[in-house]
Amino acid sequence: MLEITNISKTFHPGSVNEVFALQNVSVTLNDGDFLIIIGTNGSGKSTLLNAVAGSFITDSGKISLSGHDITKWPEHKRASLIGRVFQNPFSGTAPTMTIAENLSLAAKRGKPRGFNWALDKQLQSELRDRIRTLNMGLEDRLGNAIGSLSGGQRQALTLLMASWLKPDLLLLDEHTAALDPKSADQVIRLTKEIIERDRLTTLMVTHSMQQAVHLGNRIIMMHKGQIIHDYKGSTRQGVRSEDLLHRFEEVRRREQVDVRVAELLQRMYV
Amino acid sequence: MSLFLGALTIGLILSLLALGVYMSFRVFKFPDITAEGSVTFGAAVSAVLLVQGMDPGISLLAAFAAGAVAGAVTGILHTKCKINELLAGILVMTALYSVNLHVMGKSNIPLVDAKSTSTVAEKIGAWIFGQTTDLNWFGWEVSIRDAGMLISMFAVVAAAAFILLMFFQTNLGTAIRATGDNPQMIRALGVDVDIMMILGLAISNGLIALAGALLAQYQGFADVQMGIGMMVWGLASVIIGEALVGSNKQGLVVTGTVIGSVLFRLLVAIALRWGLNPNDLKLITALFVFAALVGPTIGRSFMNKRGNQPSGRTV
Ligand SMILES: Nc1ncnc2c1ncn2[C@@H]1O[C@H](COP(=O)(O)OP(=O)(O)OP(=O)(O)O)[C@@H](O)[C@H]1O
Ligand SMILES: [Mg+2]
Repeated sequence: MLEITNISKTFHPGSVNEVFALQNVSVTLNDGDFLIIIGTNGSGKSTLLNAVAGSFITDSGKISLSGHDITKWPEHKRASLIGRVFQNPFSGTAPTMTIAENLSLAAKRGKPRGFNWALDKQLQSELRDRIRTLNMGLEDRLGNAIGSLSGGQRQALTLLMASWLKPDLLLLDEHTAALDPKSADQVIRLTKEIIERDRLTTLMVTHSMQQAVHLGNRIIMMHKGQIIHDYKGSTRQGVRSEDLLHRFEEVRRREQVDVRVAELLQRMYV
Repeated sequence: MSLFLGALTIGLILSLLALGVYMSFRVFKFPDITAEGSVTFGAAVSAVLLVQGMDPGISLLAAFAAGAVAGAVTGILHTKCKINELLAGILVMTALYSVNLHVMGKSNIPLVDAKSTSTVAEKIGAWIFGQTTDLNWFGWEVSIRDAGMLISMFAVVAAAAFILLMFFQTNLGTAIRATGDNPQMIRALGVDVDIMMILGLAISNGLIALAGALLAQYQGFADVQMGIGMMVWGLASVIIGEALVGSNKQGLVVTGTVIGSVLFRLLVAIALRWGLNPNDLKLITALFVFAALVGPTIGRSFMNKRGNQPSGRTV
C-alpha cells in the first residue's frame, strides 16, 4: 500500500523562479491499484513520481510504502521497493553494457552486491527465457551492447528490468512518449501484461487519453501541483476520453488569463 | 639491449598506471588528476618502508592502500562535498605534495642499498634460469636482474589486469561500471552511486600508487617530482591501446591499454635514442594526447562535409 499524505514541494523558494510544483497532495493506493495520472505540462506529474521515487526529499508531508515510512529515505534505498521506467529510453539502461549485464543489474535491485559473478549460469538461462517473452528476438543478442538497440526495445527491456524482482510499486513516467506509435503500442501491451500478471501497484503518467481510459482502475488529473479530479470506483467505469478532454477544456476556460497555456492545451489535446 | 629491456619493464610498470587512468577516465569519465600525487605517494610510502627494512611485498600493499586513501578522498570531495571533478583532484594532488615530503622527510630517497622488489626479482631470475651470471639472449648480454625484473613485472601486470577484468564481471564490478555509464539508472536499481564512485577512485589510485612504488624500486629511488605528467602519460597509453584493439569490449581495451603503455614507452625510448631532447618529452606526450582528442572530431566534421556518415569516436 502507498500512502501519500499532504506532500508539498516548492522549487527555488523565495526567488522569482519560485514554482509550487506540489501543493498538499494526498493519494492512497491499495495493493494492485493501477493509477493513471494526467494533467497539463508542468502540472507536477513528474514531480509527484520523483517525490515518491526519492529524487528529492519533499518539503513537508509523509510518504509511506508497504508499511515503511520512506519520507526521508534516499533514492537508492527506496529502490528496494520501487521499480521505475523513465520517459527517455536512454535513462533506464547502461548503454555500453550488454543486454545480459543490464538485466543482471536489475536482478539485484535493492540487494547487496558483492564478489559473486553478475551473470551466473542460472541467471543466464532465466534471462533468455524471460527476454523471449518480449518477442523481439533479443534473446539471441544478449551479448550486444544495449546502446545499439532501438528506443522501443530499450523501453521494453527497462520495463522487464523494473519488474524483474516484483516491486511493491511500479512508476511509469510517460514511458511511451518518445516512441513511434507502433513501438508505443507494443510497450503498452507489455506494460499491461506485466502489471496484470504480477498484480503490480502502479503509478503511470501519460498524455494519451486513449491510454488513460483503457488502462488502470483509477485516473487522477493534476493541475498546478494539485489533484483537481479523481476518477475511481464507479465514476472511473464510465469515463470516456471525451470526458477527460472536456475537463481539460474547463481548466482552460478557467485559465483564460494565461493564454499561452490555453494555446498549448489546444495544440496538445484538440 | 638493456635499453630495450628497460623500456619494456618500465612500460609494464606504467601499464598499472594506465589501468588506473582507464578506470577513472574511461569507466567513470572522471578526469582524475589525483594520479599525479598518487604515483609519488605510492613511491614515497614504499620507499620509506623499504629503507626501514620492511618486506618488499608489504611495501607494495602499503603503497596500494595509500593510493586508495588518496583516491577515496578525491571521491568524497566530489560526491559528498559537491566539488567539481577536476578541482577535487587538484586539491588532493596539491595536498599530497606536502604529504609526500613529510612521508619521505626529504625530496629524494635512494633505494640502491635497500632490499626491494628488484632484489626479489633478481632471485626469481636466478631461480628461473638457474644461474647468476649474465644471460645470452639472441647474442645479447642480459643481466639476471633485468631479466628477472622483466618477468616479474610481466607476471604482476598480467595478474592485476586479470583480477581487474574478473572484478568488472562481479555484481559489485558491474554496479561500478554502470555508475560510470548511467548513474540515474543504477541509482534506480538501488545502488549508492556515491559509494561506487569513491570505491572506484580508490581502486584506480591504488593501482596508480602501486605503479609509483614499483617504478621507484626499479629505478632505485623515489623522488617527490616523479608524478608530474603521469596522468597524461597514462591517458596516452589508454588511447593507444584503444586504437590498437579498435573495439570497446572491456577485455580487449584492458589488454590494449597494457600493450599501449609498453608500446608508448618503447617509442619514447627509440625517440630518445635518436636524439630527442628529454626536456621535450612531456610536451610531445601532451601534443600526442591533444591530437588523439581532437583528431576524431576533425575527422568527423571533414567526413560530414563530404556527405558521409559520421565515424570515429570521441575521447
Ligand atoms: N528540478 C526542478 N527544478 C526546478 N523546477 C522544477 C524541477 N522539476 C520540476 N520543476 C518545475 O515544477 C513544475 C512541475 O513540473 P513537472 O515536471 O512535474 O511537470 P509535468 O506535469 O511532469 O509536466 P510534463 O507533462 O511536461 O512532463 C514545472 O513548472 C517545472 O518547471
Ligand atoms: Mg513530466
